[in-house]
Amino acid sequence: MANKNGSIYGLTLLCPILNDENASPSHDLQIREYLSELTADSQSPFAVAPGTHLARLVVMDDVVYVGMPACEEHLKSKYLVLESNFDGDLDDYLVGLATTIPEHLDAIWGHCNGYPGSSDKAKFVQYMKDCQLETTFLFAAVNDKTVTQTLAALQTQRAVAHFVAEHQGADSAKIQRDFIEFLKILDAIPPSKPAMNAQPRNIKTGGRNE
Amino acid sequence: MSNINGKVYAMNAITPMRPWKTWILRLIFFILKNVKSKQQDLINLSFIEFARWVIIPRDRFPFLGNTQHRESLKYDYLLFFSNFNGTWNQYIDAFSAVLSHGLNLIWRWSEKFPGAVPVTPFKGYIARVQFDTDYYYTAYPEATANDVKSAHVVQQELNEFRVKGANCAPEQFQQAYLEFLIAVQAHLGYTGEAPMVF
Repeated sequence: MANKNGSIYGLTLLCPILNDENASPSHDLQIREYLSELTADSQSPFAVAPGTHLARLVVMDDVVYVGMPACEEHLKSKYLVLESNFDGDLDDYLVGLATTIPEHLDAIWGHCNGYPGSSDKAKFVQYMKDCQLETTFLFAAVNDKTVTQTLAALQTQRAVAHFVAEHQGADSAKIQRDFIEFLKILDAIPPSKPAMNAQPRNIKTGGRNE
Repeated sequence: MSNINGKVYAMNAITPMRPWKTWILRLIFFILKNVKSKQQDLINLSFIEFARWVIIPRDRFPFLGNTQHRESLKYDYLLFFSNFNGTWNQYIDAFSAVLSHGLNLIWRWSEKFPGAVPVTPFKGYIARVQFDTDYYYTAYPEATANDVKSAHVVQQELNEFRVKGANCAPEQFQQAYLEFLIAVQAHLGYTGEAPMVF
């Protein structure tokens, strides 16, 4: 199945946004406003829900006209795009989202056509699957490690780098003594949380020069 | 709106294709998926964490009923989502320089694709078909694809070293420690805050 590469699942959703002339601001703008206020650190909905490596939410306004001699055409709906790369199976992931971050899901997808809410998990999962697109080709640089394993490995890498730098030139008996102690400390350190090392980014610009 | 989170850039692009051409592209992706050697350039570039291509047939845009109008389109569409390290220009330059043959094979079926070389019209085309990201999340914003690969190497080597290094005599430990250092020395790069690019 093209949605999977190793243990990574690539979910692509295209959810039609409500097109209500009487809504002010429009539903797509309300989604954008909500997303602009959403944090991307360890309090992010995708950090709270389990298993997400990387994810994005995008309001797709229309298809692109590339110029003559191509035909110009337009979409009748705007779409909310979710692109997510996560561990495990689709059903478990979607139920995990509905269980851990229902208020965010309802605040965002409440502006989409046919969204049943997150409280009825069976309907929620079915809705998401109705909006799912089959991935034609999925590439993953690392496709056999979970988020937890990767965060632990990054933590280990930092600790080992520090240990090695601190023990340059030390005699082997000291290194061995300290290494045994180092392993105990490393084992006792609580695992990193997802997105714990996110830095606030005040500059939010778009376009090709980023 | 932000296409950047930490050390990762989110690119979204959509290009129109005549429906009969999408079958050729599906065949190309089938070969790319099943002949791993064809992915080697993509792997060697090593700054793409995840990427995907999605072909949407013109009559397969999700339709949920209710007040939604069914789409009526002439073209199928190719969606491209990439999560890469570095800047937009670095990415497009590297793609054009290293993967031009592969890119041409994938996008030549899209309307008005100018080819990956020369790079100036290629950049113009990408800028035209790209749309921006509204919300971008990564579980490890401080790390690049290479950092992640290296971290798993260090973890693996440490797991092996701790078994044989902890309980041996100091002289044997020294030898084992040196072997451990040789194995991990190229994988101890600093991970931290991303540089701000202007």
